[in-house]
Amino acid sequence: MAVGVEWLGAFLSSTVQAGTVLLLAALGETYAERSGILNLGVEGMMIVGAAFSYLITLATGDDLLAILVAMGMATLLALIHAVISISFRLNQIVSGLAITLFGLGLSGYLTFPDVRVGILRAINPSLPMSMAYRQSTPKLPDISIPLLSQIPVIGPAFFRQNAIIYASYILTVLLWWFLFKTRPGLNIRSVGENPAMADSLGINVYLIRYVATLLGGALAGLAGAFLFIGYQPFWVEGMTAGRGFVALALVIFAAWSPLRVMAGAYLFGGVEALQFRLQVLGYGTTAPQFLLMLPYVTTIIVLVALSYEMIRKKIGVPAALAIPYAREE
Amino acid sequence: MVTRWVSVAVSIGAVLLAVFVTAMLFWAIGRDPIEAYAVIVHVFVDPGLLGESMARGVPIVLATLGLIVAFRMNFWNIGAEGQIYLGMFAATGVVLWGAASHMLPPALMMPTMVVTAFSVGGIWGLIPAFLRAKLQVNEVLTTLMMNYIAMLFVDYLVYGPWKDPHGYGFPLTIPFPDYALIPLIPGTTITSGVIACIVVAILVYYVLSRTKLGYEIRVVGESASAARYAGISYMQVALLGMLISAGLAGLGGLSIVSGIIGRLRPRASPGYGYTAIIVAFLSELNPWIAVPAGLIFGGLVTAGEALQAALRIPFSGIQVFQALIFLFVITGEFLKRYSLEVSWGRR
Repeated sequence: MAVGVEWLGAFLSSTVQAGTVLLLAALGETYAERSGILNLGVEGMMIVGAAFSYLITLATGDDLLAILVAMGMATLLALIHAVISISFRLNQIVSGLAITLFGLGLSGYLTFPDVRVGILRAINPSLPMSMAYRQSTPKLPDISIPLLSQIPVIGPAFFRQNAIIYASYILTVLLWWFLFKTRPGLNIRSVGENPAMADSLGINVYLIRYVATLLGGALAGLAGAFLFIGYQPFWVEGMTAGRGFVALALVIFAAWSPLRVMAGAYLFGGVEALQFRLQVLGYGTTAPQFLLMLPYVTTIIVLVALSYEMIRKKIGVPAALAIPYAREE
Repeated sequence: MVTRWVSVAVSIGAVLLAVFVTAMLFWAIGRDPIEAYAVIVHVFVDPGLLGESMARGVPIVLATLGLIVAFRMNFWNIGAEGQIYLGMFAATGVVLWGAASHMLPPALMMPTMVVTAFSVGGIWGLIPAFLRAKLQVNEVLTTLMMNYIAMLFVDYLVYGPWKDPHGYGFPLTIPFPDYALIPLIPGTTITSGVIACIVVAILVYYVLSRTKLGYEIRVVGESASAARYAGISYMQVALLGMLISAGLAGLGGLSIVSGIIGRLRPRASPGYGYTAIIVAFLSELNPWIAVPAGLIFGGLVTAGEALQAALRIPFSGIQVFQALIFLFVITGEFLKRYSLEVSWGRR
């Protein structure tokens, strides 16, 4: 198969799919970090989202229910992180890591074949045993947008995708608009820059941080659900493979802005898609692992490039990021 | 701050709470929690299993001691796992080179492996340290990314050039010769790696509390600006500190291939580098507590394997247990630090 228009179309389509996982998680984390909360638990929330979406889809065949449960469970994890970071004012890096380790362990625990069968039967007692041992489920169906999907090459890449991807387009624009063009969005940003000042102006710092963190969790859960039912509907333990952490780097790369998050997400998604397409073309059959390293190496390079040249001076790190807020009394 | 006794009580309370929640998790999937905990206790009592526990505890302790050095200078080294993998790679490389070239006398094998594992593991840690010191690149993310790179690199080796030609196609290296294995303490089932752990703990304690480097590490950890004011070069401290931290993790890797498995294979470390983060916190960055705590966690790993074999409880159950201990101890910090004043909103 030569590198032609067809290959390009397939590559772009994969890019959008791979990028959407990162996009969703990074959008949520953008809000959390804009409010001043660093959430290293994204990886754990994502894998929990993926695990629950797997279990629910397998048990009930209901994709929407799967997505909602996935988001709900991830939000619960985010609540734990929020309580520890905001109300208890403890170290956010440690809390996030603990949540990630917990999420990774829990997802492995629930999806372990013997355990899984019991859970699936509990949800749906009439489930046939053959179903219960399956590791894959049907992928979310693609929906073609008329006219737009007819555009050569990029049409199908962006407009013949599944519902979650379309939702991500809308979410990106919505979240950008909300953060930069509304009063509540301004409040979020001020809480992340100078919580003491915001507090004195009557803004409820704690509430905003809670909501932003929970939103981050919900979107991380959605990202995990998408990863499984919308992108790679074959359950593998630990299938997030560090994407949650890549999303964290992405938020920095995007300078905490939703629109730039989308651009960065597709860039990283492109790296992942490229690695896969290159394998299809026959490169790296002897040593596929080096291609698999690409996303992680790219992340490091991106982080270094950002720091270099003091670009940081032009990019606004939320000044109060990861610093617990306590009102002086 | 509260008294030492309250502090210990809170930590024990956290562990007990984790025990309880995990028991509920076992019960929820239809397994008998009492039976499960009996297995866990048995792992520490039975002499044969005790040997297994100690062997798995050694890499955890070594990595933890390394993390204590890094965390003391407020350097968030989440990369112990990858540094372990690089240590495994280096140690295995020495064995393979020795086997192929016959240029390494058996007596020199282990010392060479030790030096190489420490150095190569250490170098892996230098990269994030340099990036942080020079360009303020967030070390949490760089060390994390390097974990994945390291694991993939080892995968490449054992699926490719280092695969044992007589291994029936499995991704394994040749088994290590006897003189490349860590010996047991004579007369016991316990690995002499435990002695190494104690020695390293003494060294870490000595370096941190009695040397100039240790002093600088602690100052940098307390306050970066105070350190700068005192003329301490962050670059030097970060590089040296991470060399030691990552080097110790590398030694942990050596103790896996030479003390547990006897060869290299994919996923040779079931997350010891991450477990070490938990143990480092539980030990409150104290090397003396790190040794017994790490060995106990080694026992938990053995218990996890036993639970899966005997009771069909997934190994991840133990990982959940460890994460719960971590979560509850972290939360317990709150009780230790503040008089109860949970913040919610405006008053």
